[in-house]
Amino acid sequence: MAAMTSVMRRVYVGIVGLLLASGVLQFYFAAVGAFARPRTDDSFSLHLANGRMVFPLLAVLAIGAAALAKAPGRLIGLTSVPLGLAILQSLIVAVGNALGGATEQRTTPLALAILGLHAINGMIIMGATSAVMARARALLSAPTAPAPAR
Amino acid sequence: MSTLSLIAVDLLVALVGVGTWLGAAIAAASGRTRATRFLAVSAVAVTLVRVAVVGVLAGRGWWFVQEKVVFALPLVVLVGAVAVVVLGTRGVAAAVVPLYGAGFAAAVGVLSPLLTGYPMGVGQALASLAVAAGATLLAWRFTAGPAAPTRRLLVPVIVLGLVGVGLELLPASSGAADGPIRTVVSELRGPATPAPGGSVRRFELAARKASITLASGTSVEAWTYNGSAPGPEITAVEGDLIEVTLTNVDIESGVTLHWHGYDVPNAEDGAPGVTQAAVLPGGRHVYRFLADQVGTYWYHTHQVSSEGVRRGLFGALVVRPRPTDAGADADADPGADADTVDLTLPVHTFDGIVTLGTHDGVQELTVAPGRPVRLRVINTDSTPHRVSLVGTEFRVVAVDGYDLHEPGLVRGEALRVPAGGRVDLSFPVPDGAVALLVDDDPARATLWINGDRASTVDTAASVDTTGWPELNLLAYGTPAPTPFGPDSAFDRDFTLVLDRGLALVDGVPMFAQTVNGAGYPNIPDQRVREGDLVRVTVVNRSIETHPWHLHGHRVLVLGTTGSPLWLDTFDVRPGEVWRVAFRADNPGIWMNHCHNLDHASQGMVLHLSYEGVGSPEGVGTPHHGH
Repeated sequence: MAAMTSVMRRVYVGIVGLLLASGVLQFYFAAVGAFARPRTDDSFSLHLANGRMVFPLLAVLAIGAAALAKAPGRLIGLTSVPLGLAILQSLIVAVGNALGGATEQRTTPLALAILGLHAINGMIIMGATSAVMARARALLSAPTAPAPAR
Repeated sequence: MSTLSLIAVDLLVALVGVGTWLGAAIAAASGRTRATRFLAVSAVAVTLVRVAVVGVLAGRGWWFVQEKVVFALPLVVLVGAVAVVVLGTRGVAAAVVPLYGAGFAAAVGVLSPLLTGYPMGVGQALASLAVAAGATLLAWRFTAGPAAPTRRLLVPVIVLGLVGVGLELLPASSGAADGPIRTVVSELRGPATPAPGGSVRRFELAARKASITLASGTSVEAWTYNGSAPGPEITAVEGDLIEVTLTNVDIESGVTLHWHGYDVPNAEDGAPGVTQAAVLPGGRHVYRFLADQVGTYWYHTHQVSSEGVRRGLFGALVVRPRPTDAGADADADPGADADTVDLTLPVHTFDGIVTLGTHDGVQELTVAPGRPVRLRVINTDSTPHRVSLVGTEFRVVAVDGYDLHEPGLVRGEALRVPAGGRVDLSFPVPDGAVALLVDDDPARATLWINGDRASTVDTAASVDTTGWPELNLLAYGTPAPTPFGPDSAFDRDFTLVLDRGLALVDGVPMFAQTVNGAGYPNIPDQRVREGDLVRVTVVNRSIETHPWHLHGHRVLVLGTTGSPLWLDTFDVRPGEVWRVAFRADNPGIWMNHCHNLDHASQGMVLHLSYEGVGSPEGVGTPHHGH
């Protein structure tokens, strides 16, 4: 049982590492889209695919791995923060365009003011994921179960 | 406040609600009494605000609030009330789990509809409930430790979730049983002879890949008809028979010709998988139909159309009235009034470059002042364009090929042209310069008439059109009699609610563009009988514009205060509700879809089918049909 938990803790660190990598790639893909010419619907396809599929999937796996690794409740809660903030990323775009009255051709100052938060929230996601990583690694050296009296 | 703003405000308030409930739970778990109380009171206040917002939104239509009223609000109000009562009577420590419950209830209330769209079914409600309950059990387990009775409660929660998922996966009832098939689509061909006095106009279009050169010299790898994009303009005079032979040289995915806005007999409609098989390389198909609608139309491929049309498989179709002067040279430019400068201007985006025809920059034209001009603007893209005319007042004489009744003079207002839509603008050339701008951008494709006179009057160079209001076509021109109207007795009444959500599209699960919660081909047909008067209500719950396009019928917009509007493509913007009507007078099986062709390929397609009409064998697999 203790061996199992020890393996799961390594898996947990591995998945959070992949989550961090996906986050870094997300910034990279954003720059790719921003500099692509001519700008088409496909310019941000890598950013969209990684952000909507890969990152959320890894984030869900990380929460599951945290539970199986017998991480404390607080750390499981922290591990679910990147997922919640990733969902918020899409909602920032939706709310920003809708509240700001942006159209297909033209954004508005209010819409841009809200849409800019997409980048800030992206940095917060990276910060939260890094914090999860630090604690997941610390968990590797923690005892796997309350030590039985011996 | 617009419906879209209300939807956005509701989303925002709901998110703040999730944050405050979960925040209260975390504060309670950390033993911080004052913070818990403060956040719980805030959460209650935010939840009440959301109830109010939803109440206002409900006034815009039940479709906008269904899942909020039947699921999200009752759930969060109920669990939230329990949490607050426990907090008040038994203290912070006892309230941790109920507060987590309220937070997760609020979260699934927001996320579940975003994930699956309209409408919320019983199965989805049960599954969402199970997710919230499961998350609450996890939180309970990790805050209270192994002593918590979570293991016992887990089984019912899992059962609840499985029942919900099972209900969702149950096949939808197929609706009314199909009656006997009396006609197959392939029998519904066009005539072989023109109307009396008309002639046969033959065209040959060969689809092939080619490099086209735009006016600036930029070359684009395009898919073309006859090596050009836009393809050759097809023109005819009212009463002519148009006969087009389509061949395919090297477009591997196949091609067809769909006559956008032209109510041709069903077999000539060019909808692969429905009215014909796509024409593959080496193949051939002949289209024949009577030029019985005067006006500006266009043609395009309907096979894998999101890619085909974008790459250039389209062209203009213009039918002019039969001239009264029998001596007119009908072959040169059939039906054209020799005095009128009559220009067809397809707006298209090739590789991100906006063009008017093949002009990606300034197109110059010199016309003697006083001569009449007619500009036929066609939006061949998948998103709307704004068109502004600077330097003159003008009339919008036709929309989607249909002449408007007593159109008034317009100046300083821009026109919004939906994807697939057309507007015809008419004006006599003034003494100064005139500019037609696309999307308010003089640096993009622009048409200048007498641009050398630009310095003499206010023109695009000095006028910023971005602030121009949009001409409201619903109140433009004057009313005229119509064969039916908002108060008619309708034989059929359909509602299409457009949204996004997880759905199967051609058997593949995706985050689809949905109609009434389903994706193609799982959206039930709209079934009509020949002669029915049909009303369709189109509701857009999503945050994207959906240009709705019914094949084979033009629809009358109900509730206009100006000229009658007969459209084949109308933009249903986020939060909008459109009511339109048509007479079912063109038997067949017709595509009825979003003309943002990317949305169509993501599921936003259904059929209008007449009783007694069946699909022919061998038209190919339907799943390539859009």
